[in-house]
Amino acid sequence: MIDYLAAFITGLTTGGLSCLAVQGGLLTSSIARQLENDTRQLIIKNAGNGKRSASKLQSGPLQNKRSAMAILLFLSAKLIAYTLVGFLLGALGSVFQLTPILQGAFHILLGVFMVGNALRMLNVHPIFRYFTFEPPRSLTRFIRRTARTSQSEFSTPIILGLLTVFIPCGVTQTVMALAMAAGNPVQGALLLFAFTLGTSPIFFVLAYLFTSLGAKLERGFMLITAALILFLGIISLDTGLNLVGSPVSVSRLFGPESVEQARMDLFVDRAVIQIAVENSRYSPNVVYAQAGVPIRLELVTDNTQSCTRAFTIPSLDIAEILPKTGVVSIDIPPQRAGRLGFTCSMGMYSGEIIFQ
Amino acid sequence: MEKREYRVPGMHCPNCKIWLEGLEDDLPGILQIYASYHQQILRIEFDDHLVSESEIIRAANDLGYQLLAE
Repeated sequence: MIDYLAAFITGLTTGGLSCLAVQGGLLTSSIARQLENDTRQLIIKNAGNGKRSASKLQSGPLQNKRSAMAILLFLSAKLIAYTLVGFLLGALGSVFQLTPILQGAFHILLGVFMVGNALRMLNVHPIFRYFTFEPPRSLTRFIRRTARTSQSEFSTPIILGLLTVFIPCGVTQTVMALAMAAGNPVQGALLLFAFTLGTSPIFFVLAYLFTSLGAKLERGFMLITAALILFLGIISLDTGLNLVGSPVSVSRLFGPESVEQARMDLFVDRAVIQIAVENSRYSPNVVYAQAGVPIRLELVTDNTQSCTRAFTIPSLDIAEILPKTGVVSIDIPPQRAGRLGFTCSMGMYSGEIIFQ
Repeated sequence: MEKREYRVPGMHCPNCKIWLEGLEDDLPGILQIYASYHQQILRIEFDDHLVSESEIIRAANDLGYQLLAE
């Protein structure tokens, strides 16, 4: 019981924000689509009344209700999907982890998709129209005829909500690991249910404020959304690049660099370097080492709370969850000259070892 | 039977396709209708005894789309 309460509170606090950072893009693009629809419908209504001007759009209570509904559906779908995942993880009880490379590839895809969509919304070039799918005619006809009878059409947020299981944030991954460790489908399901439920309020409040505010800003809102999606898309790309161990990533282009040389330690017969694992970076994040000599990384945490604790070296398939406070040594076999990227499991913070 | 193809620069998202193709439910005599957001076009085949080109253009206008002759 304590576990479930802890999972709920984790979701309520760190989980909600962390997940919003990772999955917010999906939600905002879904709401953007929703608003595009609403705007279109309002224009039609106005046109029907002989008022052609789009500037007369107003965010009525109906529209706010629909945005709220879309967010609620997104969150409900998410809740159901994660509970199912918890169930499966508990049932598996064995190792189920997307490899960093696969996860990275997924993030890169998502990033490209989001950036493309943002550029489409900004009307940069006709080519970006191809970043949205045109549903087949039989489907659109079906949707149209259902919509004419029933009014509502909310399948997009539901599908997007379900899709979020493929991009869990760092905190969620931790809870997923817990669910797996529980080794019992019901416990696993309950853990993830409690956690995801905890993440929902902050998701809802932020997303709702965002949309009802946006509806008033009318057209400008589309620009803001596009800019936000662009931004989140770039973050997603960056995450992906870090996870696949790319030598170039956006954060490393702009982030501060601290450089240090790994020094030979005669006692352990390898070069040793200490890396401070802080909440928002690894320091140093550029380590020089001699090629062909084994090295040891001493990862020092000191009341570290963030996902930097999930330390990974994608190309060597090394993944280590560090304690909040402590020192963990990771031995790296001799490497050829070149670079070796390390990153947190979410690809948010990264660094590299350069073998010379 | 008549066939026409129009450019529709006002299509701003894939859902416009749904609205434009909805003309087949609004007007009589529409035999085939195809709209594409990607290509920004509307292709239409209609029975000119039942519906006229100007009626189609007006109906699309009422939906908020301007049809331009290819």
